[in-house]
Amino acid sequence: MSTRQSQGTTLFTALLVLVGIGVVVQLWLLAASVDALMRHQGGTAVRAAVASAVVFVINGLLVLYVINFDRKVEQGRN
Amino acid sequence: MSEKEGSKQNDCLECRKKKDARWREDFPVSWESDNYVTRREMVKFLALGSLTIAGANAVVAGLPHIVKASQMPRTRIALASSIPVGGSKLFAYPSEDDPCILVRQTNGDLVAYSQVCTHLSCAVVHNEQENALFCPCHHGYFSVAEGRPFAGPPTRPLPRIRLEQQGNEIFAVGVEVA
Repeated sequence: MSTRQSQGTTLFTALLVLVGIGVVVQLWLLAASVDALMRHQGGTAVRAAVASAVVFVINGLLVLYVINFDRKVEQGRN
Repeated sequence: MSEKEGSKQNDCLECRKKKDARWREDFPVSWESDNYVTRREMVKFLALGSLTIAGANAVVAGLPHIVKASQMPRTRIALASSIPVGGSKLFAYPSEDDPCILVRQTNGDLVAYSQVCTHLSCAVVHNEQENALFCPCHHGYFSVAEGRPFAGPPTRPLPRIRLEQQGNEIFAVGVEVA
């Protein structure tokens, strides 16, 4: 395995773990906002939704980074 | 095993392979590769899951705005004259499952709050001696004037019930969450 490929594997595993943690945090936020809704605390649900959107943007950026990395590796091969 | 039997078995194996080859043309994905999930597929699945959860969170946050405050019922809860200074009355608002408490303060003003403690949802009661709303479960205290916690484990104020007085009648018209 080339250095570039091995770097890619490590990077990809790390990003996968990061995105996984992000999704778990989002699930926790969803549970908290449903709980807040049941207690008639709309403000908490809004804050949880904003935090969830921020986590999604971070996850999306990480996935875009992986896609760009893949593209660069492919261009390097060709 | 004789040579004949051996060749028969080989023929059958070839037959099977031919049959398999035809079958494979229609269904080219093997069980092994069907069950194999790459990390790329996993990360894409997680990203889609992330989007779905963010959407669900937005829907949950938007629900109270969809059900507008103006749609809160106007419920008659008591006669003003029936509640003495320092006295209280229990009622339910906006639905029968939402217990609330109406208190007449020492200055004569009426205030109402949700009776559900913001710590662990026990029912708060009026403590006249300490002029506070008291949660007996974990000894949480809320001020009668503002509903803010000042002792015990609760950190969030009690939701306040908006009141309107028409003549001698008191109506609950909405819920304010701090």
